[in-house]
Formats: sequence, structure tokens, C-alpha cells
Amino acid sequence: MRRALRPSTALILGSSILAASCGLPRDPEKTSERIASAHELRVGVSANPPWTDDSGAVPRGIEPDLARRFAATMGAHVAWTRGSETTLVQALKHHELDLVIGGFDKKTQWSSAAGVSQPFTRDADGKKHVMLAAAGENRFILALDRFLTAEKRRSEASA
Amino acid sequence: MRGIPHVPNAEGQLRSARRLAWISIVYIFSTILMLFFVMAGSQALKTEMTGEFLSLIPPTLFFIGDKISRREPNERYPFGYERAVSAGYIGAAVALIGVGAYLLFDGGMKLATQEHPTIGGFPIVGQVVWTGWLGIGVLLWSSIPAFFLGRAKRRAAETLHDKTLAADAEINAADWQSAAAAIIGLIGVSFGLWWADAAAAVLISLEIIHSGWAELRTAVGDVMDRKPQDVLAKKDEELPQLLTDFLRRQPWVDDVIVRVRERGREFTAEAHVVPASEDRLVDRITEAGSKAREIDPRLASLTIAPVRQFPEDVAKARNPVPAD
Repeated sequence: MRRALRPSTALILGSSILAASCGLPRDPEKTSERIASAHELRVGVSANPPWTDDSGAVPRGIEPDLARRFAATMGAHVAWTRGSETTLVQALKHHELDLVIGGFDKKTQWSSAAGVSQPFTRDADGKKHVMLAAAGENRFILALDRFLTAEKRRSEASA
Repeated sequence: MRGIPHVPNAEGQLRSARRLAWISIVYIFSTILMLFFVMAGSQALKTEMTGEFLSLIPPTLFFIGDKISRREPNERYPFGYERAVSAGYIGAAVALIGVGAYLLFDGGMKLATQEHPTIGGFPIVGQVVWTGWLGIGVLLWSSIPAFFLGRAKRRAAETLHDKTLAADAEINAADWQSAAAAIIGLIGVSFGLWWADAAAAVLISLEIIHSGWAELRTAVGDVMDRKPQDVLAKKDEELPQLLTDFLRRQPWVDDVIVRVRERGREFTAEAHVVPASEDRLVDRITEAGSKAREIDPRLASLTIAPVRQFPEDVAKARNPVPAD
């Protein structure tokens, strides 16, 4: 089985490396470019402990930590915005935010309004936890998915 | 055997047609499964997947039709069961148009509300690949084998005079166009053109509506006993003219009106004959009837009705089609 997969795997990896070198896929609203030039990732946080905790001066918890590390991979710092899920998702829609966190799971009601990331973990109830990004900003979402998938694989390997 | 034309290779063609239909069903399911996984937020891929579901209808109808149309006539269905396929086909064509219209609306709304399709990463073999590239791979899988499958079915459809199979072949052959549209849509999205995806979806849905309309016209025409048409080219069959010429050549025939109808894979014909002489009429009718079946193996029966003059309705069969 593994042997049979190899040529197709090579093809997939080869073409995605080729595409990545051409800068594809691109963001229709240029989220990745803006983050790269402004060195700033705009993250919305909605309180939902233990995933997010915004009681302190800076948001804490599993997801804010992930967001900071993700920003670091792009050479950016995080600009936080606090609010309810509804207002944050609206801001995401208008491209006033890049990322929204708040303990969302894969079956979130916001999936039609925002781009849902790959899960970064699975909780005790078996729910797959995700983050929300601006819909259609596919380069940015792909980068996020790569970061979160690596995170998930790392935590599964250590568990 | 009942329900198939009496051509030498009919049995073999039927076996290969059945095999093709099975291959199609398995193949289409594999495509649907793969599309389901890579669909992400792409409207074009969603539309393509719905199209794949719809292309399950013809091979399924082929199996059902093949089974039902072989039943022997009985008291309740004195003409047999061949028409079951045509009835089923009308339903399928209506479904095709309905789903096409829904997808057109869905894609149009996405364009109107400027919804940006989200297509992210897909974890595979220790990597995370952009789902759009995988989508293009699946679309190639959904189009290239379908093209060859369609060609093989056309051959069998021609021999068997099977419209379901012919329609199935047409749908397979047209699949590459919608797959190509979806691929262009995904490439457009990869370049940041969010509208390319919904635009491709609209094109594909128009293609679905178009083929649904063509199938509906054919199916309704069959049920209405329109003059028989060739299964692939949809041109008038020569058989009615051949039968008319054959009967005219008989010395005992003064005038004749032949009406042929399609009944599933077979034809049945009715000839009203004004005889020149009534001498040995029954023998002559029987003889002409059995000779006529040699003209075309698809002709299952020819009923010859001797008349002094043509009934009014029958005579109208010579009228030209009114321009509407």
C-alpha cells in the first residue's frame, strides 16, 4: 500500500512545492501580505476558559498561547481585541481582524461566516477544537492549518 | 431473448453494457467519496459532487429498466413492460433540471453576496497540502476515466438501441467539461480570484440544466410515440420509410401508411394497408409480417391492418408538422 502511494505522494508534494514557490494560493484580500508588512496579527478573543481567559491584562490560555506562537512564525506580534463571538465574527468578515479564538469546535455555528481552521486538539468529549479566520483568505488559512496540524501532531506524539 | 434486438452480438453487448454500468457505479462512488473529503468551501466542487450523484441515475435506471423490461406481457400489462424505462427516464430528467436550477441559484447567490470560498490545508502523509490542489487531482480522476467509459457505452448503446445507456454515455462524455470548469475555478481561487469558484459552479449548473432539458425532450417524445430517432445522433430512423417501401413493393398492396413507435430497446410497427386484391389476404399479411422483421432486427412486431380506406386519424399521419 505504501509503495503504491509513492508516485502520487511525490506528485502532490512536488506540485504543492511548485505552487508555493509561485506564491499560490493567494489571499483575495491580501491578509498574509498585510501581516508580513505590518508585523501584526489581529486576533479577536472571546472568553471561554480554559481555551481563552481574558480576565488579565493580556489574554491567557491554550489558544492565546497558540496565537502568539503562530504570530511569531510570521515575524509578527499579536494585537488583541476582546468581544462577543458575534461582534468578533462580524469584524472578521469586514477584515478588521485576521483570527478569532474562543474555544470553537469544528461544528461551530460560524462556519458559514468565517473560515474554519484544521483542529489543533481533541478535547475530553471528542470535540475537535478550531480557530476562525477571515473567509477565503486561503494563503493565510493554509499557513494557520500547517501550524495547527503540526501542533496537533506534536501533542499526539507526546501523549 | 425478450427485450433486446435480435442482432448476433446483442447478448455479448448486453453483458458488456451491464459490466460498464457496474464499473460506472463503483467509479462514481469513488469520485463522490474523494470529492466529499476535498470539497472544503468550494462551490464548484460541491456542484461537481452533486453532478456526480446525478450521474448515478442513468446506470441505476439501466439496471432497473433492464430487469423490468424483460418481464413477459400479462393480462394487466398486455403490451409488456418495455416502457418502464421511458417512464423512469422522465423522472430522472426532471430531477436533473430541478437540481441544476437549485445549483444555479446557489452559485448565483454566492456571486451576488460576494462569498469568498474558504479552501484551507489538508493533512496528508505527514504534510499539509492546500486542499485546492487535491481537488484538482480528484477532478482529473472524475473526468479522464469517465471519457473512456462514455466511449465504450456509446458502442453498446448503438447496438442495443438503449436510450438510458446512450444518455449515460453522453453524461460521462460531458463530465470532462464540468470537471475542466471546476479546475479552472480552483486555479482562479488559488490566484486570489474568489469569484472564479462560484462562476465555475454556475457554468456547471447550466450544463446540468442543459443536459436535463435534452434528456427530457427525448424521454417525453418517446412516451408520446414520436417517430423513432437514432439513440446517439437523435436523427429520424430510416425504419418507417424502409417498411413503407417494402410494403408498397408488394403486388397485393395498393396503398399503405406505416406508423412505428419505440418501445424501450425495440420498435413496434403498425401498417394500415389498402389491398389491391383480397385474394389470399391472410397468408399474404402473415408472410409480409415475418419478412418485414428481417429489415431491422430491432423491429419486434409488425401489425398489418387491411382497410378499404384509411381511418381519418391514421391518414393524418401523412400531414406535415405544423409550424408553431
